[in-house]
Amino acid sequence: MTAVGTGRLPRRADAAPAPRSPRVLLAPVTVTPTKPLSPSHLKGLLWTDVMYRATAHLGQVTYRCSQTALHLTEQTLGFWEYLDRVLGDTGYRDRSEQDIGELYVRYREEGRDVPAEALRPYAEAAERYGWVHPASRRVLELWTAHYARLGMHDPGLTLHQPPGFTLEEMLAWLDARGLCLDLRGSGGPVYLDPTRHGMPLRRLVSPDGRPNLLACALRDLLPLAASHDEVVLLHDTDLEPDYRLLARVLAHAGPQVRRVALGRVPIDGRVRTARQGDWRGRSAGDLLDALGTPPTPRGEALLRLAMRLYFIGSLGPGGRRSFQLEELRSRVGRAGRLLDAPPGDDDVAGFLARHREGLHVDPYRLTAGLLARHRPVPAGALVPAVYT
Amino acid sequence: MTPSLSAADEPAVVLSQVLLRAEVTRRIRSARPDLAADLDLSAPGGLDAAARRAADAADLAAVAVVHRFDLASWIRASCGFALGLDPAAGAGWRRSFTRTIILAGNPGNLGGRVRFDHRADDGSSAWLAPGPPDRVTGLRRLLKPFDGPGPLPPPPTGTIRVPGEAGNRPPVRHGLHIATAGTTVSRCMIGLNHLLAEAVLDGLVRPGDRLALHRAPRLGGLAGPFTALRVEPDPRHDDRLQALACLTEERPDARTPR
Repeated sequence: MTAVGTGRLPRRADAAPAPRSPRVLLAPVTVTPTKPLSPSHLKGLLWTDVMYRATAHLGQVTYRCSQTALHLTEQTLGFWEYLDRVLGDTGYRDRSEQDIGELYVRYREEGRDVPAEALRPYAEAAERYGWVHPASRRVLELWTAHYARLGMHDPGLTLHQPPGFTLEEMLAWLDARGLCLDLRGSGGPVYLDPTRHGMPLRRLVSPDGRPNLLACALRDLLPLAASHDEVVLLHDTDLEPDYRLLARVLAHAGPQVRRVALGRVPIDGRVRTARQGDWRGRSAGDLLDALGTPPTPRGEALLRLAMRLYFIGSLGPGGRRSFQLEELRSRVGRAGRLLDAPPGDDDVAGFLARHREGLHVDPYRLTAGLLARHRPVPAGALVPAVYT
Repeated sequence: MTPSLSAADEPAVVLSQVLLRAEVTRRIRSARPDLAADLDLSAPGGLDAAARRAADAADLAAVAVVHRFDLASWIRASCGFALGLDPAAGAGWRRSFTRTIILAGNPGNLGGRVRFDHRADDGSSAWLAPGPPDRVTGLRRLLKPFDGPGPLPPPPTGTIRVPGEAGNRPPVRHGLHIATAGTTVSRCMIGLNHLLAEAVLDGLVRPGDRLALHRAPRLGGLAGPFTALRVEPDPRHDDRLQALACLTEERPDARTPR
């Protein structure tokens, strides 16, 4: 038998398959669109962006950050219900993200235990029809603009990206692997059961049917995990217990799972949260304005590079260094010197490969290398490829 | 005179507050006469004080790890576990009022960590013999208290056979009555376990016996004689008691008592 028409020899059956590039799933914790982006959020987002763009030079990367999947958490649904209960029908087109963030602070202060029945219409609309409350829609539009200005890849902030598993499909997947303890038949909750790994039961669904953040993340990531060689989970250190569990479960789907835990950014020595208004005066919009870079292509490149140098290289993965606006500003000068490096045809992929951790590039090591004064770095090629 | 639960030569007794109070008194006196010695169980507050002492005095606890609740399986497992205890363990548990820690968990996932003393025939629960509660501190950290606030699911059909081979005594058919109004799954599990385990330890329920399940919103007015009674505080009335479940002797042709 001869092969006809292709001009290629038929491949021998025992020939080694052609090497394929590694497939990496990048899954940072999703910030819920209920407030402005704080320095802690920016750190995680910039970290993820550098990892995404650097790793994309070495393999196929899926950057998954579905807002749709996380709308179903109680903190988002509860905020939407609060807004409609307290403000009624109103428009949000003219509201700033700070305005909406202040409403979020008031919602958390209210601390009311809203019955599941009151949240159900919101959950249904978000899940089935891709509905997003106008306040969050407004926040996501403003974030989209920040992402563009920061040169960050937009993973689909305003797109309807429903999770691949329904809640029942996700629980059935877990159950088939002995990882689910479902007490709904007795009116109880559903637990993730990692006890065979020596880890304690963790609630996924409350007795009245409300899924938590971990359940939403499992619905979203489990269907994707099997088609990747490595999953990288980026999260705040305070979410460590849940992300340990998430990593353990995702590994059952086949891929290597790696966690990158990032410390939150203290403000004046204290770590605050969105419910305490940690973004006040230091939101993404505030910082972009405060840097004062000109609206020129070079100005935008300075801003993007300086933000990455500071939030990755200066702050590092830990959470001990307080945010310092002056230090961030000082990175603009450093960014200028790096931008002035002559463009070259250096082997960027080879350089990036030397900064790999597993299959993904470690943004901290890469950025620290960029800031090192006495080591040769192909800045002229690397900076536009990854940092601006 | 203390009303009798099961004297066959007396007129049929009917569930009443007097009978329920007498049963609580009997249970405390028979398990721990020392606890009730200086208390007037007939006086207001006397029973409460004795119950508190009983709870404090329960120094041994069995453990049930429950994967899913199935009424028939729970009944069989509860009887089977008590039947499998050696006499010393059974007596110690009886003195601790058959205290049982019920945890949510999948026994199949705990195989390497815990050596269970009894497993339900369908794997829905696994049991640890009575011991000091602090011996299972690690297990309690790994698992959660079983939380079953829902109503009882539909009853199984037919009778439930107590596991094991019948001995010299011919098997007995018992009526097992459960009050369903306001009875959550958790309350039912706890109450039935005490009722059945104590009936087994007292030799009233034996291998090969059959249990015919009867459900009614409340058991008030039910006619005895009663083989065993599970009495609890009435959740709707602070100062009253409720029969949560009971065993009656049933002839094969007996109808469901009204």
